[in-house]
Amino acid sequence: MEILLIPFIIALVALVVPSNFMRQFSLLGGIISLAATSIRVASFNSSEFYAITQECLTNFGLTFKMGYDGMSLFMIVLTNLITLLIILSNYNRELSSNRTFTSLLFFMQFALLGVFTSFDGMMFYIFWELTLIPVFLIAFWFGTAGNKPALMKFFIYTFVGSLAMLISLISIKAYATSFAHDDLMAVQLTAKSAFWIFGGFFLAFAIKIPLFPFHTWQPNTYTTSPMAGTMLLSALMLKMALYGMIRWMIPLAPEALAEMTYPVVVLGIIGVVYAGVLAIKQNDIKRLFAFASISHVGLIAAGAVLIGQDNWTAVFIQMGNHSLVAVGLFLAADIIEQRLGTRSLSDLGGISKVAPRFAFMFGALVLASVSVPLSSGFIGEFLLLKGVFSYNMVIGVIAGTTLVVGAVYTLRAYQLSMNGPAKTAPFADLTWNEWLAFLIIMLIIVSFGVCPQTIINFVGPSVKNLIESVTNTLAK
Amino acid sequence: MEALIVIFLSGLISLFVAFAKKPLYVLITACTGLITGAILLINQWNTPSTLFASYKGLEFNHTSIAYSLVAILFTFLAILAGYKSFKDELEHTGDYVALYIFSLTGAICMLTFTDMFMFFLGLEILSIPIYVLAGTRKKDVRSSEASLKYFLMGAFATGILLFGIAWIYGATKSFDLNTIAMVIDGEAKHSSLLFIGVLLMLSAFLFKVGAAPFHFWGPDVYDGSPSIVTGFMASVVKLAAFGAFMKLFGTYFTGLHDFWAPALMVMAIVTMFVGNLSALSQVKFKRLLAYSSISHVGYALLTILSTDPMNEMNLLFYLFSYGFSVIALITISTILNDEEDRLEAFKGLAKRSPFLGFVAVLSLLSLAGVPPLVGFFGKYLVFSSAFIQYPTLVIIAIVNSGIGIYYYLKTVMTVVSKEETTENTAILSVSGLQWFVLVVCALGLLFGGIATSHLG
Repeated sequence: MEILLIPFIIALVALVVPSNFMRQFSLLGGIISLAATSIRVASFNSSEFYAITQECLTNFGLTFKMGYDGMSLFMIVLTNLITLLIILSNYNRELSSNRTFTSLLFFMQFALLGVFTSFDGMMFYIFWELTLIPVFLIAFWFGTAGNKPALMKFFIYTFVGSLAMLISLISIKAYATSFAHDDLMAVQLTAKSAFWIFGGFFLAFAIKIPLFPFHTWQPNTYTTSPMAGTMLLSALMLKMALYGMIRWMIPLAPEALAEMTYPVVVLGIIGVVYAGVLAIKQNDIKRLFAFASISHVGLIAAGAVLIGQDNWTAVFIQMGNHSLVAVGLFLAADIIEQRLGTRSLSDLGGISKVAPRFAFMFGALVLASVSVPLSSGFIGEFLLLKGVFSYNMVIGVIAGTTLVVGAVYTLRAYQLSMNGPAKTAPFADLTWNEWLAFLIIMLIIVSFGVCPQTIINFVGPSVKNLIESVTNTLAK
Repeated sequence: MEALIVIFLSGLISLFVAFAKKPLYVLITACTGLITGAILLINQWNTPSTLFASYKGLEFNHTSIAYSLVAILFTFLAILAGYKSFKDELEHTGDYVALYIFSLTGAICMLTFTDMFMFFLGLEILSIPIYVLAGTRKKDVRSSEASLKYFLMGAFATGILLFGIAWIYGATKSFDLNTIAMVIDGEAKHSSLLFIGVLLMLSAFLFKVGAAPFHFWGPDVYDGSPSIVTGFMASVVKLAAFGAFMKLFGTYFTGLHDFWAPALMVMAIVTMFVGNLSALSQVKFKRLLAYSSISHVGYALLTILSTDPMNEMNLLFYLFSYGFSVIALITISTILNDEEDRLEAFKGLAKRSPFLGFVAVLSLLSLAGVPPLVGFFGKYLVFSSAFIQYPTLVIIAIVNSGIGIYYYLKTVMTVVSKEETTENTAILSVSGLQWFVLVVCALGLLFGGIATSHLG
């Protein structure tokens, strides 16, 4: 319970904290919530389920069932860690002493934790929608001027997607006694109704991830949001959808898997190639990373529908990796924009000569993003590609091009901005907080790249349980 | 029963108290009456009673008590929110307050009747004060237009309703609802008189709740009337009309469900689309509210269509959630007090007054159905109870919610916008009563859903 309450209370307190103390307060808040989670992690046994609320059946099937198992706890840790990194990377920015911003950030953290700990369909839906409001306000109030159309598109897209999910939830609840995860899973569906229910969930998640062809809101929203908004969107909100696929969409309507696996995998892989190619042509560095993000998550989404122990574990590894890399890359893009006032690659060059520490960190992130061995991305991407290969050889080969294309666009971004003759005005090297944020990201990426077994052991048993119950439902 | 008398008397007394030229006394009389009435109703929860032993015209059972309590609550809030403007017209304060209370008396009759006589009486008692109230901004042409339009259209609809009652009387030889229901359920083959009567009544009801294609009066009347009257119409009048609609069609005419349901289904679909699509391009706040209310009528019609045993309560909860949003928004609009009632007046509200902005955003998001606000739970209950019988209709309704999000979001963005227009710099004066109303609405919007999910 304290996991959820801490960010909520911090969000409320942040509204009254004096603004010259705001930065320290938010940093402290981020550390406290991460520390509270660490206590939970320390006493965690990966094969068990821990309830955090009293379950009670109310008159329309809402049960308030919340808790966590390995998968959820992994997401909880990730959320708290990324929030802390966002605070850290914002620390010397103007925004960090803004009361509303800090409050919204913690409110967002609260809503996200709610999503990851809900074991009740309606609670999941409520928290899922709740995340939309803070991120929308952050982007609207603190983003670039004139971002109204982009945000409107974003809000309407995701809201319509969520409504489709609501239809699915209502229709599956019509056959169940309550919204509890177990009750909904126990429902036996005909192939036809499973198809529609799966479809409703899929629409919601595909828009949020975003998968091709539902991605059109994403590049504009990412580029017009402030750094923190972009980080929240790419590092955390998108993970909600991937997590939702594994926790809700597939276990609730596994009967549709036979029909739906192929289209989803194909869409995911189209996204990988298509967004990758578009990323190569981008001149705006933030937009480039936005497309890169679409490209990476396409593969993760494909892995999520290919049900299997290795694939799902890889999905979690890759989610963690993608979150960290995304935070790092968007921080790098923002540092460039802050110092030079431009994000356009054609105006950049030679930064490595004036800011070697930044160039080093950026380079390391670029390598992590293209999944070189010894970074956690390597393990995740390798396992995912292996899964896609064994599902369908041709698709696997096409998916494999992500390694090449990914290397092209990220290295191109690195080369154009860091190498070559110095084109730009003097560039101040990293401040301590940016340095620390990069360092934490790199340390985690490398340590899990060297020793991925930790994550595999952490989420493995709960993945196994979920897969077992899904196969049991299918066998009946 | 005593509650009805107390409420009526408090209206009457406030008329006379107004002679003292002390508006506060009027307010106290009215509020005392409403609160006493509510307490008496709550007392009656366990002891159902009727008007007289020999004549059972009004019946206070659980459903009608719950509906009446909500109607009293909304009237209470509307009077409190409007007190500031009533007070300014010293010679009319008593009239205004009394008219609201008389209208509420009619609403309670409409929610508790068991007999077509009482129903008709209630409808007229409800409507006539509203015709007057709609025209109270005497110097404003739009207000007079609203009053006249509402009166003419209302009279026309009443005529149709009476005609329908007459046909039904012809078929069943009774005004008593139980007898009518017995005839309907008892006969294998119905007389054609009954069908015509039911259809006429259906049209009259659709007019009263403001469903398409009988909705044309809605936007003009909402727009022209003084804001508080608009709020009262959208909450209490709508509640009373829907309550009676549900009672007749959802309970007593269910024997003919197969006959009227297809017609109502088509109307519900048309209503949703007309409301949502017309709302998209509105620039005036109350017109937007009027069209959004039409779309909400469309969703609420789903409860009348479905034969779920809980649908009376679902409908009540839906209107309850809707009323909070409307009253909050109307209160805010009276505070802003924009001559032309433009949506632009809301621009930068969150910056000018964070509290008002917060309540406005809550109300709009609740109307759009964003969880965890009460509007979401209202929608959820309505949709899920109708889903088994009418899956397609529910999907259409959800598509419509998707359309609706556009104009709600546009308004939200206006409210939270960073830019301030130069003209809107006057300091907003919020009276204590308006604060109270807004706080009540905000609490209702935030916690109404969770609280109700715990109740019986």
